[in-house]
Amino acid sequence: MKCTECGYDAPVAKFRYLYNPRIDAPITLRQCTQCQAWLVVDELKGVAKKSIGPGEDPWGKSAGIEGLAQDLREKPR
Amino acid sequence: MAVTAESLKELEKKQAWWWIAEKKRSRRLDYLRKAVWKKGAIGGLYPAGLIVDLERPVLQTEKARELESSADPYVIKFAKILAHVLDNKTIFITDHSQLVGYLGSTPNTITWDPSLASILNHEVINDPQCLPEPLDDSLRTIKDIVNYWAGKSDLDKILPYMDLDDSMKILSGAIGWGVPLARGGYSGKDYEYIMTGKRAFEDIIAELDRRIDDAYAKAHEPSASKEISNLYDKINNWEAMKITLEAGIRYAKRYARLARIIAENFETDPARREELLKIARTCEHVPAKPPRDLQESLQYDLFIQLFSRNEAIEGAWPARPDYYHGPYYEKDVNVDRVLTEEEALDLVGEFLIRAYEVSQYKPKWSREGLQGIEGTWVWTLGGVKPDGSDACNGMTIALLKAARLVRVSNPTFAFRWHPKVSDEVMRECFECIRQGLGYPSMRNDPVLVANAMHWHGHPIEEARTWVHQACMSPAPTTKHGFQPMRMANATANTAKIIEYVFTSGYDNIVNMQIGAETPPVETFKSYEEFFQAWVTQMKHVFSLVVRPVNRGRMLAPTLTPRPFLSAVSERSVESGLDVNDPSISRGNAWITAFTWVENIDSLAAVKKLVFDEKKYTLAELKEALANNWEGREEMRLDFVRNAPKWGNDDDYVDSIMLDCLREAAKFSRELKCPSGNSWPILPENVSGNIHYANVVGALPNGRRLGDALYDGGISPGPGLDKKGPTAVLNSCAKIDHITHGRAFLLNQRLSPTQMAGEKGYQLCKAYMKTWADLGIDHVQFNCVSDETLRAAQRDPEKYPELIVRVAGYSAHFVDISRKTQDNIIQRTVQGLA
Repeated sequence: MKCTECGYDAPVAKFRYLYNPRIDAPITLRQCTQCQAWLVVDELKGVAKKSIGPGEDPWGKSAGIEGLAQDLREKPR
Repeated sequence: MAVTAESLKELEKKQAWWWIAEKKRSRRLDYLRKAVWKKGAIGGLYPAGLIVDLERPVLQTEKARELESSADPYVIKFAKILAHVLDNKTIFITDHSQLVGYLGSTPNTITWDPSLASILNHEVINDPQCLPEPLDDSLRTIKDIVNYWAGKSDLDKILPYMDLDDSMKILSGAIGWGVPLARGGYSGKDYEYIMTGKRAFEDIIAELDRRIDDAYAKAHEPSASKEISNLYDKINNWEAMKITLEAGIRYAKRYARLARIIAENFETDPARREELLKIARTCEHVPAKPPRDLQESLQYDLFIQLFSRNEAIEGAWPARPDYYHGPYYEKDVNVDRVLTEEEALDLVGEFLIRAYEVSQYKPKWSREGLQGIEGTWVWTLGGVKPDGSDACNGMTIALLKAARLVRVSNPTFAFRWHPKVSDEVMRECFECIRQGLGYPSMRNDPVLVANAMHWHGHPIEEARTWVHQACMSPAPTTKHGFQPMRMANATANTAKIIEYVFTSGYDNIVNMQIGAETPPVETFKSYEEFFQAWVTQMKHVFSLVVRPVNRGRMLAPTLTPRPFLSAVSERSVESGLDVNDPSISRGNAWITAFTWVENIDSLAAVKKLVFDEKKYTLAELKEALANNWEGREEMRLDFVRNAPKWGNDDDYVDSIMLDCLREAAKFSRELKCPSGNSWPILPENVSGNIHYANVVGALPNGRRLGDALYDGGISPGPGLDKKGPTAVLNSCAKIDHITHGRAFLLNQRLSPTQMAGEKGYQLCKAYMKTWADLGIDHVQFNCVSDETLRAAQRDPEKYPELIVRVAGYSAHFVDISRKTQDNIIQRTVQGLA
C-alpha cells in the first residue's frame, strides 16, 4: 500500500492501525509510519484512499435518518 | 451585541446554545462561569494552566511526621492530619461569588492526596506538565513527599493483606478498573441524617460527647466483658469524628473572617460589601448549625462535599439537590419572598459552577476512562418522596434552568421519571436535552424502586430516597441503606469474557493467565458447549473483581478509616463503628459491566455463522481473531453484516442477551458482599469503551484490537441498529429491568431538527411514554447534529462549550479524544415518527 502523502510503500500491516470508524464498512484509519499522516484505508482492496484531517468524514454520515455511510449506499447488503 | 428576540431566534436556528446561554444569564453568572477553571482531562491529560497543588501534601506530610512518635491510634492521627490541612490551607473568595470553598489553594490547582497510593504518587512525579514552576524545587518537594508515603499509603498498607494473584491480575489493567480502597471511589452519604435540617455539626458533636462520656463511664464499671473492651475502639472513632467536625466548623469560620475583613476594609461597592457580609454570616452559621435559607443550605452542602473530598478521592457526587434544598428554595422564593427567582437562579447556577471546579489528581486510567470530566457528578432530580408522592418542586425547575444557563459538563442530572411528574417539569427536562446538554438522563422511578427492593432488600420508603451513587446505580440515602464507598475496583471489562473463551483464559495483551482455563475453543462441538465456556469465564471474571473489594471493605475500618464520613452518618455516630464497617450496612454493591454488548453480538455471530450455517470453523475464527482479522476483511464483514445484531428487535440475538443476563443474575446471588447482600451487574461504559479499545483483542462481532467498543450498557453497536428507535426499545424491553441486573445504560441520538419546537416536545413525550410503558430503566440522548460535531472537530476553538453525552456523563466535545468523538458521531441518529 502506498501512502497518499509521502509515497511510502509497504504492506498494509506496516501502517499503524488506529481504528475502524465504522465497524460495518471495510474502511479503517491507519497511520503512515514515515510521515505520520492519518490515512483512510480500503481494507478489501488494501489501498490508501486519502489522508484525513479533523472534521472530515469520508465514510459518510452517521447511520439512521442522517443518512447511511457512503460505502454502504454504494454496496447495499 | 444587544440581546433581541430576533438575535436569539437566529442563534437557536444555528443550535448555538452556548451563545444563547451567555446572552441570557446574569452578569454574575456570566463572570463566574468564565472565571472557573475547567479541570476535566482532555483525552487523558490535564489542560494547560492547571497545576498540582503542593500545599496540601506538604501540610499532610509535615503533620504525619510530627505525629509519628505520638501514642495516638491511627484513626485519631488521620483525623488530626485532616484537621491540620483544613486549619492551614490557603482560602480565597472569588469575585462576585456568594458560595465559598475549594479544595486547592488557588482556583487553577488540582489537589493531590499522597496518602492514598504510591502508584498515584509516582504518576505525579512523572507528570511535569502539571507541576508548579520552578520545576526543580517542585520535584525536590515531591520526591520528599513520595518517599515519605512509600509503604505508608492506603494501597501500600492494604496490598499485603490481599490475594497476590488477584492483585496482579487487577493491576494489569486488563479486566478491572480502580483499586479496592475506602478512600478512592464513590462515597454515598446519609443525607437523611445530615441534610434534612434536623441537625448540623454542633448537634452531632454534642451527641458524640454524650456517647464518649457514657462509654467512658461504662468502661470503668467493675467488669471486663468483650463489649467493654470494644468500647475503647469506639471512643477513639468518636473522638476522631469529633476532631473532623470541629475542624470543619473552624474552616468555615476562617471564610467568615476573610469575608468580613474584605467587606470592612477593602470593598468599595456597597452591594458587594453586603454580599460579603452575608457570606460571613452564612459561614459563621453553617456547618455548625442547620441552614436557615437557600444560600446557607447550598453552602452547608458544599462544605460537606469539600470535607469529604479532603478525606478521600471521591470519583462521584451522589446528590439529590432539589429534594434537600427544595424546602429552602420554596421558603425564600415563594413564602418569605426574600429572593426573586432570578436571584435564586444565581445561587443555584453558582452551586453548579462550584461543583464543576472541584478537582483531585487522578491516575491516567481514570482520566482516560472519564475523558473531559473530573468524576461522575450525576445529581438526581425528581422522583418520589418516601410516601410515594411527587418530589418535584421549584428547585427542580431552578436546577434545570440553571443548567442551561451555565452549561457545565459536570455535574449532570439524572431525572427520576414517574407517572405523576408534571408537564411543566417534563418540558424543562426536554429543553435541556434539546439544547444539547445530553442531560438529564431519564430514569424509570417505579422500576428502579422495585429493583432496589428486589436486589438489596431496601424497604420501600428507603428505596424511594435513592440517588445515583455514580453514573447509574441507585442507592438510598438512609441510615442502613446508603453505601459509604463503592470501590471502583468492582468494574469488569466484560468483553474479555468472550475473548477468553477463544484463548482459554490467557490474556494476550498483558501476557498472563487471567481467565479460567476452559478447553481449547476449537474442541467445542455445539453452541451449548461454547456458551457454557462463556458462563465459566463470566463467573471467573466477576469473582476476580469482587474478591478484592470484599477484602478491601473488610480491612477498611482498621486500615483506612473515614472519620469525617462516619461523623455525618447516623449509623456510625450511634454505633461508634467506622462507616465502612459492613456489620452496620445493608449492602448496596454492584458490578459495573463495561463493554457488555460485545458478548451478545459475538455469541450471536458464532452461533449463526459457525454452528447454524457452518460457514466457518471455530479453529478458523480463532486464527482470524489471533491475527486481528488481518487479511480476512471479507470474513470480518461477514461476521458484522450477516450475523444478527442486538437492538433490531430480532429474537435470535435478543434471546442470547437474555441468556447471558439470566446467568449473570443467577451468579449475582451467589456472590456476596461483606454485608451478606448480592452483587448484581450494571452494564454501562463511561468512556471505558475507548480506554479499553487497546486492551481488548479482536472479537467475533467484527471489531479489531484498537477499535472503540460499543458505547452503552445495552445500547446497540454504533450504526448497527438498522430498524429504528422502536426496534431498539423493543429489544431493550425484553430485558427484565428489575431482576436481570441493577440498571442498564441506553444511549440514543436524536435529530436536533426533529426536536425543534412544540412538535419536537410532543415527539419526545410520545417516545418517553413508550419507553416508560415498556419498563426500561434508563435512556439518555445526544441531540447534536453530525454537521455541528464535525465542525467542532475541525475548528475546536470555535466550539469550546459544545457538550455531548459520552456515556453515563456529559463532556465538552473538544475535551474528548478524536476516537471518542468519532465514536459518538457513529451512533445512529434515530428518527422519531
